[in-house]
Amino acid sequence: MDTPVIDFHSHAGSWGRYGVDADCDLYLKVMDAAGVDRTCINCIWFGDARRGNDLVMEYVKQAPDRFIGVAFATPHYPEEAVKELERAVHELGMAYVKIYPDYFGRPNDDPAYFPIYEWVDEHEMAVMCHATYPFDPPGTTIEGRFTALSDRFPNMRWVMAHTAGTLDADAAETARVLPNVYMETCSSRTALGATEFNVERAGEDKVLYGSDMALMDARQQIAKVVTADIPRRAKEKILGLNAIRLLRLDGPAKGGAI
Amino acid sequence: MMTPGVDLDFRPTVPAFDANAALGRRHDRRVAVDDAAGLLAEMDRAGVERALVYAPHAAAFDSAEGNAGLLEAIGDESRLAPQFVCNPPFDDLDETAAQIEAADARAVRMVPTLHHYPFRSWVVGGWLEWLSARGIPLWLPASYETNWHDGADLDAHAVHETVRQFPDLTVVLCEVHYVQASWAPPLLRSLPNLSIEVSRYVIADGIAQLLGIVGPGRVMFGSRFPEQAIAPQLYHLHRLGLNETDLRAVCGGNLARLLRM
Repeated sequence: MDTPVIDFHSHAGSWGRYGVDADCDLYLKVMDAAGVDRTCINCIWFGDARRGNDLVMEYVKQAPDRFIGVAFATPHYPEEAVKELERAVHELGMAYVKIYPDYFGRPNDDPAYFPIYEWVDEHEMAVMCHATYPFDPPGTTIEGRFTALSDRFPNMRWVMAHTAGTLDADAAETARVLPNVYMETCSSRTALGATEFNVERAGEDKVLYGSDMALMDARQQIAKVVTADIPRRAKEKILGLNAIRLLRLDGPAKGGAI
Repeated sequence: MMTPGVDLDFRPTVPAFDANAALGRRHDRRVAVDDAAGLLAEMDRAGVERALVYAPHAAAFDSAEGNAGLLEAIGDESRLAPQFVCNPPFDDLDETAAQIEAADARAVRMVPTLHHYPFRSWVVGGWLEWLSARGIPLWLPASYETNWHDGADLDAHAVHETVRQFPDLTVVLCEVHYVQASWAPPLLRSLPNLSIEVSRYVIADGIAQLLGIVGPGRVMFGSRFPEQAIAPQLYHLHRLGLNETDLRAVCGGNLARLLRM
């Protein structure tokens, strides 16, 4: 394969609850074995987003040609959120924004997130988050959620994390009909036919490979795409070309040049 | 930078024998593949030669009915090895033993989390004694999820206390998720007759760590088909940097040895 491989979804830092250490060398070893050129990396473990973003930069500094920094933003501290985004993107060169509404107890279309989105929209960047939450109001649909968000923030792009663990028709349809919404593949489940389903429903341009490293192994997660029954060109797009286009990595570089 | 390490034309380089596949319909959802022909087609696509299969109905509802249905579904297909599900509190040992021997089933699965019994000698002792004497290995899922069952964790302490009383019995811990990574490795370390099937063990570098703890003779490839695809974990195993002998053992040799096949 002669196109770049980019892991769109991974985490920096320790997660001792599952025996995961903050080990950059191990990270690089697994990336090498998996055939991953570059990994988009965030840290969502800290209530202090600044601390997590600084930790991400330790990885980026250790291997700037391998890691792409991703900014974490949390509405728990609205007085800090936009200021930290300014720093993370303009000073640290981070490439997109990760939010984690599960920690906030309100879904990603809650107005508490809107100041963050206004900033992201103004900067025409991407946000990655889950597509659904345990606390979603009855009747919530993914398509309805992201249609409303896209109407309100037309310059943003959205990446729905973990949308290849099951065959999720709502997520795939959302990515198909909304040009600014993408699907990301990582999951501890590897549902039979999920990659094929997403490519068929959403299109090969709308799916991004992600691993959830260091919780999950990039070698196992990338295999969902590598061994899928889809055309070779589709695999190349999912494994890297779509991320390059989405993050405009072939243009002015962010978080380290490609 | 270009990494040449992704193999879009991957095929396993050693014989693969799947240690964890289900065959047959489920009551709680429609599965993508529920018959032998479909399973064999997926095995062919993934490059897997053989599979050890059990019936979900035997786990979820009735072991005798499910096991009989499994044999019917397998027919005379030699690539599929039957694994009987047993429910010690209610199944008759002598009757089940006769069925296992008649079917030449080489492995048994117990699901104490779903069947609601303590995995203790006073419940399963007679069964483990029989399995041990016959050289039949026992599979224990770390949890078992259905749409109406919460998938509670296996009682690791009960497994430890019980399995250590049967040192000649081989027990295979299967379907271990990363949330069970807190107790599965110590359990493996403390029980030399315990092996692990890795269909759900996706924690980063986790399999390499397991190999470091128990060596290549006690780690086995499994897919958890049809809930999961067959090939991804096989690809993963081929990317661990194992020598060919160890890769052969993990991908199928260990299972073939346990099943005397």
